[in-house]
Amino acid sequence: MSNEQSSIAFPSTEELSGPLLRVKDLRTTFSTPRGSLTAVDGVSFELGRGETLGIVGESGSGKTVLARSVMGLLPRSNTTQTGSILFEETEIVGAQEATLREIWGAKIAMVFQDPMTSLNPVVRIQRQITESLRLHTSMDRAEAKATAISLLSQVGIPSPAERVRAYPFQLSGGMRQRVTIAIALACSPRLLLADEPTTGLDVTVQAQILDLLSSLQSARQMAVILVTHDLGVVATRTDRIAVMYAGHIVEMASTKRLFASMAMPYTQALLRSTPRISQPSHTRLIAIDGRPPDLINPPSGCAFAPRCTYATDQCRSERPPLRTAPEDPTHLFACWNPLQTGNAGSITTAKGEN
Amino acid sequence: MSAETAPLLSVKDLTVSFKKGRQVVQAVAGISFDVYEGETLGLVGESGCGKSTTGRAIVRIEEPTSGEVLVAGKRLTGLGRGELRRARTSIQMIFQDPVSSLNPRRRVNDIVAEPIDIWKTETGDQRAATVREMLEAVGLDPDVAGDRYPREFSGGQCQRISIARALVMKPKVLICDEMVSALDVSVQAQILNLVEDLKAKYGLTLVFIAHDLAVVKNVSDRVAVMYLGRLCEVAPSDDLYALPAHPYTQALLSAVVEPDPEKATSHVTLTGEPPSPINPPSGCRFRTRCPSAQERCASEVPELREIAPRHQVACHFPTLRP
Repeated sequence: MSNEQSSIAFPSTEELSGPLLRVKDLRTTFSTPRGSLTAVDGVSFELGRGETLGIVGESGSGKTVLARSVMGLLPRSNTTQTGSILFEETEIVGAQEATLREIWGAKIAMVFQDPMTSLNPVVRIQRQITESLRLHTSMDRAEAKATAISLLSQVGIPSPAERVRAYPFQLSGGMRQRVTIAIALACSPRLLLADEPTTGLDVTVQAQILDLLSSLQSARQMAVILVTHDLGVVATRTDRIAVMYAGHIVEMASTKRLFASMAMPYTQALLRSTPRISQPSHTRLIAIDGRPPDLINPPSGCAFAPRCTYATDQCRSERPPLRTAPEDPTHLFACWNPLQTGNAGSITTAKGEN
Repeated sequence: MSAETAPLLSVKDLTVSFKKGRQVVQAVAGISFDVYEGETLGLVGESGCGKSTTGRAIVRIEEPTSGEVLVAGKRLTGLGRGELRRARTSIQMIFQDPVSSLNPRRRVNDIVAEPIDIWKTETGDQRAATVREMLEAVGLDPDVAGDRYPREFSGGQCQRISIARALVMKPKVLICDEMVSALDVSVQAQILNLVEDLKAKYGLTLVFIAHDLAVVKNVSDRVAVMYLGRLCEVAPSDDLYALPAHPYTQALLSAVVEPDPEKATSHVTLTGEPPSPINPPSGCRFRTRCPSAQERCASEVPELREIAPRHQVACHFPTLRP
């Protein structure tokens, strides 16, 4: 994971069959009054066309910064970025705003957590949807309006022809999130970044929005990066999952593989601390002691070592590299003492309790 | 379980209405339930169903429009200001946002000691000893935490401080309103375990209000489901989740996402959203979204009735157990 890798030019012959997005050794650092904070620390992954990747982590793990980095949405004043984010043939790291403007909305779109603050409160829904259509396509006003109404009906908003005239405050939280999805989908982007799209919504609305995203994704052959803190949200709706901790991807595997044979103690701890409705009432949760490290002074070894029940001296002194599982080359994890595959996901393993 | 003994907390036909311009919003529309000593009652529902208003009306932060709240047989509703203040020492509340519920300009020791200082129950060394005991009980090191300010703590630690403050007067009842919703899963698990430990240690009775069905199941002995100001179903947790009788409970449970890719996502997709509480549907309030609604549901309000021991449901056509 050296910085030199970032300068490798990818062959363009792979363009159509190759991955849609290639992130190589991305490092995003913010300068803060207390010192520099590396929020994303050497992250690499690829995303295929039409693939859904879940990025899971707790607050401060760097998942949102990673998503915003891919979108090129970070403030320039206090941010330093190294590495590469190649979207098709466009390099996002260090790109001019003019380049990003061509991509935003047209090729990559984003749905944010809070629909109230991501919508403009004083502009009608119609103009918020047609804005990118008018900018990126040759549609005239009437065509754009017709498209806006059709998008609203696609995202399940009742009486779209009337709702298109509404202001955001006239809609409920779930309806507003549907509107932000309609805006994101307006120009048929190839990649949709959804950052906690259902956090703060009620369970029934959450199920509706997640179902909506999956159906739109398969209908449109769109790649999706679903950023969330909730393993439940990604369990049934992603092809692959990357688990982040303290700015690193600590484990990445196909969704099935990850839940069946996770290797990283952090992934296991996260899963065990989540209450489930399938467990009987008053089941003792296996909490993770302590809290994530301070990213301004990160620990020298594995960032999870201070909270890990399996940590050894090696873990505390030497940072584990991301390596491949012997049985599955697509399964990556960063751990010196990986869990035994097979029983890793089981809740009853006594070893992890403390 | 303890059906013969008198309930510790009793809510009778509670209504809370708010004026909105010329209209009246009935946030809580006549609900009754009992909570027995040492029990945790979970109160679940979607946003706007009135679950938080119910919690706030119990401690009279929100004044109930009608109905009664009794704690250990003593009426809380109708008490004068002084009496209410005294009564509130036995019923405490913990809120969702741990950071904003602590005074940012006071030190942790003083925050936790505030109820003691108000009631002047203890002074000097005794006061300090009680504060130490409470901080230790919630898993904070009194020597490290005591002299610091809330801003120096994470959300989970601030929630621990709020719990210490709520418990310092040794209350009987604790109302927890979305107390873990703002926390990360790993911290949420720490706080949920702590609540279970403290409940056992201090013999607390809990009303645990939350929207997360898995969290509620984890801590509750019984669960009450609310929809648009009314109770739909009340049952022991394991029963309610295994054999939900009300169509709304079924819809809620089917929408829960579980961290297990083998679980098929089969949703009883509830279409639309709850109607406005300003003009609620006649009869059963859930009928406009209910898959099994019939004519009777529009004309007749379903009352909460027992369909199995300790399992109550307010539905004309509940799913009865086999």
